[in-house]
Amino acid sequence: MSLLNVAVCLVCIFLVPLSAAGLALIYQGLGRSRSAAHAMLATLCALGVAAIVFVAIGFSWAGYPGGAAHAFHTGGVRWDWLGADPFLAHGVRSGLLKGPYAALVLCLQIFAVGVAVLIPVSSGNDRWRLLPICCSSALLAGLLYPLFSHWVWGGGWLAQMGSSFGIPAFSDAGGAGVVQVVGGFAALSVAWVLGPRQGKYSEGVATAIPGHNIVLVLFGCLLGLVGWIGLDSATSMLFYGATVDLLPMVAINAMLSAAAGCLAAVFTTHLRYRKPDASLSANGWIAGLVAGSAGCGRVSPGVAILIGLVAGGLVTFLVETLELKLLVDDPGGAISVHAGAGLWGLIALGLFGPVQGASRMGLILAQLVGVATLLGVMFPLIHAGNLLLNRILPYRVDSDGDWQGMDIRELGAGAYPEFVMHADEFAPR
Amino acid sequence: MSFVGCLLMVSGWLIAIAALLLLVGSGQRLAFVMAGLLVESIGLVLVAQSYRALQKAQG
Repeated sequence: MSLLNVAVCLVCIFLVPLSAAGLALIYQGLGRSRSAAHAMLATLCALGVAAIVFVAIGFSWAGYPGGAAHAFHTGGVRWDWLGADPFLAHGVRSGLLKGPYAALVLCLQIFAVGVAVLIPVSSGNDRWRLLPICCSSALLAGLLYPLFSHWVWGGGWLAQMGSSFGIPAFSDAGGAGVVQVVGGFAALSVAWVLGPRQGKYSEGVATAIPGHNIVLVLFGCLLGLVGWIGLDSATSMLFYGATVDLLPMVAINAMLSAAAGCLAAVFTTHLRYRKPDASLSANGWIAGLVAGSAGCGRVSPGVAILIGLVAGGLVTFLVETLELKLLVDDPGGAISVHAGAGLWGLIALGLFGPVQGASRMGLILAQLVGVATLLGVMFPLIHAGNLLLNRILPYRVDSDGDWQGMDIRELGAGAYPEFVMHADEFAPR
Repeated sequence: MSFVGCLLMVSGWLIAIAALLLLVGSGQRLAFVMAGLLVESIGLVLVAQSYRALQKAQG
C-alpha cells in the first residue's frame, strides 16, 4: 500500500468507533429508561471484552490475506479454514518492519468485532445480565467472529472459491456478512435464549413497549452513517484492494442506501399506520447502511438506492413478523436490521454487482454459498454457544429484576434518578 | 424440534458444499445450492416454531 493509501485507511479506521457509538445510542434509546445506564455500560463492557479477547486469541484465528493458516485437502480442494498467527498479536509487532498491513487489519478488526458484539446487546436489552453479556461477547469475539472473518477476509476458503471451484470469490466489501449478519444471528439466538420481557406478551398478544428516547435513536443514526462510511472504506481498502479514488463512491453509496432505507421505512409505516414511525424509520436508515455495505463502492448509485429501498421496506415487515407472529422480543429491531438487511445486501451484490469477467450466474452462486454458510454453519454454532453458556451462567435476570429494571437491579442506581418514576415498580405483583 | 432444525440447517450447508465439489455446470450447482438454502430455511423455521411454541406454553 502506498503511503497515501495507508494514511487514508488509518483515518477511515478511526471513524469506525462512531458506528459503535451510533448503535449504542440507538439501542439505549429504544430500550426502557429503567435499563438505560445498564445498556450503555453493557455496550462499553462488550466492546472492552471483545477488544481484549480478539487481540489475545481472535486475531490469530481471523488472520489476514497472506498470513499463516490451517488448511486441509479433500476432494482435490484446499480448505483454508482457520488463521494460524501467533496469539496476542505477536506476529503483528514483529512484522511491522515488513509493512503496516497486518497492524492496519488488526486495528480495523478490533473495532469491527466491537460492532458485531454490540448487536446482540440490543436484542437482550432490559433483561440480559452484565456478566453473561461479557462472556457471550468473549465467545463471539474470540471464536465465532474470527472463524467467518478468516473465511471471507483472511484469505480462507470462501475467498478462494475462484481457484477451488472456478466461481468468483464470495464478496463482502463492507462487512454485511462478516460483521452484521454474524451479529444479527447472535442477536436472534440471544432473544430466543432470553425469552421476551415481562409484560411484552399477554396470552400470545404483543404489547407495545416504546423506546424511551427517540431523539438519541435518531442522533445515533447520524453518527452511525459516519462510522459506516469509515468501516466500508477501510474494509474495501484492506481486503479488496480499493484505492483512495474509490472512497468518494463508497461514501456516496452509503449515504444513498441509508437515505433510501429510511425513506422506504417512512413511506411503508405511513401507509400502514397512517403516520411515519420514528423508531422503524431509524431502523430503515441502519438497514440501508447494512445492506449497502456488501457492495459499497462497487455498485452504481442507482443500485445503491434500490438496495436501500428494499432493505427499508423489508425491515418494517421483518420487525412486525418477528414481534407479532414469531413472538420474538427484540427491543431494538437488531435481528431484522442486521441479519435481515445484511442477507439481502449479500444477495443483492450477486444480483446487481459488477461481473468483472465472471458470469452473472457464477457471481450469484458465490454469494449464495456465502449466505448458505452463514445460515448452515454460523447460526448453529452461535446458537449452540449461547445455549451452552446459558446453562453455565444463566443469561436472564430474575423476575423482580425484570420489573425493577436493570439499572437498579445490577447497578444500584438509575440513569435518570431525578426525572423518572415507574408506578409499576411499586405495584403489588 | 429446535435441535432437528439446527441439524437441517447444517445439512442444507452440506448440500451446497457437495454441489460445489461434485457438480460442474453452473446451472446444476445453482439449483443444488438453492435446494440447500431451502433446507436451511426449513430448519430455521423449525427452530423458530419451537421457540414460538415454548413462548405460547409459558403464556
